Amino acid sequence: MKKRIVFSFALLLLLIVVFTAVGISAGSADISPAEALKIIIGGGSDDTAEMILLKIRLPRTLAALMLGGALALSGYMLQTYFHNPIAGPFVLGISSGARLAVAIALIVSAKTAFGLNSAVMALAAFIGALCAMSAVLLMSSKIRSMSLLVVCGVMIGYICTAITDIIVNFADDSDIVNLHGWSVGTFSGFRSESLIVCAVIIFASLTAVFFMSKPIGAYQLGESYAVEMGVNIKAVRIAMILLSSLLSGCVAAFAGPVTFVGIAVPFLIKMLFGTAKPIVMIPACFLGGGVFCIISDIIARTVISPSELGISTVTSVLGAPVVLMIMLRKNRDNAGS
Amino acid sequence: MLEVRNLCAGYGKRMIAHDISFTVNGGEILTFIGQNGSGKSTLLKTLAGQIPALSGEIFIDGVSLSDMNRNSFAKQVSAMLTDRPKTDMMTCRDVVETGRYPYTGTFGLLGDADKKAAAEAMRLTDTAELADCSFGEISDGQKQRVMLARAVCREPKILLLDEPTSFLDIHYKLTFLEMLDKLRHERRIAVVMSLHETELAGKISDTVLLIRNGRCTGIGKPSELLDRDTLIEHFGLSGELYDKYM
Repeated sequence: MKKRIVFSFALLLLLIVVFTAVGISAGSADISPAEALKIIIGGGSDDTAEMILLKIRLPRTLAALMLGGALALSGYMLQTYFHNPIAGPFVLGISSGARLAVAIALIVSAKTAFGLNSAVMALAAFIGALCAMSAVLLMSSKIRSMSLLVVCGVMIGYICTAITDIIVNFADDSDIVNLHGWSVGTFSGFRSESLIVCAVIIFASLTAVFFMSKPIGAYQLGESYAVEMGVNIKAVRIAMILLSSLLSGCVAAFAGPVTFVGIAVPFLIKMLFGTAKPIVMIPACFLGGGVFCIISDIIARTVISPSELGISTVTSVLGAPVVLMIMLRKNRDNAGS
Repeated sequence: MLEVRNLCAGYGKRMIAHDISFTVNGGEILTFIGQNGSGKSTLLKTLAGQIPALSGEIFIDGVSLSDMNRNSFAKQVSAMLTDRPKTDMMTCRDVVETGRYPYTGTFGLLGDADKKAAAEAMRLTDTAELADCSFGEISDGQKQRVMLARAVCREPKILLLDEPTSFLDIHYKLTFLEMLDKLRHERRIAVVMSLHETELAGKISDTVLLIRNGRCTGIGKPSELLDRDTLIEHFGLSGELYDKYM
């Protein structure tokens, strides 16, 4: 048991190192990993290579790593919260709610010349995510069926996406030049300022979630047992909602829609580690989400190079079959019992 | 040890149990006896802190429940509820070890004393051989015993059991009660439970509390209360039916 966990963590770290190296060297300009390392530690001689590496590839790879981790972690918390293995920030409409809020913020800032920095964007996304989350929660109090809840979440997602589209259509083209690239989802174009904001939000949330692994473990057993164990259930619920909204909002604000990572990764991680204990799952989901998104991003920008696929195209191809597998498994388990 | 004074229990505005008072000392067993829907589970849930008391007071060793923080309450009271915990890839040992939760630190990791208490509880409840089995894959009766081990490994002062024998066959019903009897003598645990089998309740309980429509209709020694006429009236039976099957 212990061995498997150590081995799995080692595997994830190895994958991160390998694919980060691949990520920063793959592309139309050839930069070998050795050369890349030289540039990063400050010994590079080739200016163009240095530019490409430090301004484009490295931020992009770091963004994929962090935001992928954030998505997986957010998905894990939502699945725990709803006791539903196919809950995730995207299927519950939370990502779309965040995107809507960011679109509104972008347009308001363009119209009023109110400066929009990364922190304000993150805040808007967080508010949007919370609004969508509130709608989901409101429905979850009325709906007992888990699959119906997911259907409702998808509907909320559609509504938010539709409103986003309408707003974008009515806005002047110059206002929304940012919106178009971002509406398909991408890890590219991160400025260092945005990266820093993301890093602060994500690592603070990760730390907070990690410190909650004890009550989350109790919560997994069901509400009545959590209370029996002395857990302040209300506080845990609120913290889980806030943190998962913060994480998925952050991703939606800076990378746009990235689908299925939040559902597929926690499941794959659980299978790899052979446990669902939060103290293992929380860091493992984060690392796993990072690996998943780095790989997806490499595929997205290399298969039809010099053009690019949207990141969601790749994550859907990789993630959706996993989600189908989860549902089939669940169905089998239900039939068995 | 456990003192309940004029307790009213229910959900929100809907009062289900009215004005219940009793005392249970360490090593004693008090059993609620009543029809389905009479308020037994609601009372047990209130005692377990699952729902707030509507009025009245609950004292543990003279300390009111309202003056106790969640963790120290959880250390003193463990409950075995009628719903099963949701377990995802958990072995029976994992489930039992969750009983030690109030004693663990920031990250909920178990110390040697916690592991020892869990192993001891599993030995007591005859579940040691199930330790590495997945909780989702064992029988209902086995689950019941694993849940008892979970409740016991906390080393509580008070043990609350809601229909603990409901899923058990006659063999495990009797061995379950034997375990309970041993536990309360060895560890001086006060036990409050609900039980449908009046005969078994009569044999194991020190006190029985008859509940009908949320009101206590009698409290005292089983030998004084569990006679034919009282039971016929309490459960709304006809004498003929009672004599035919009981």
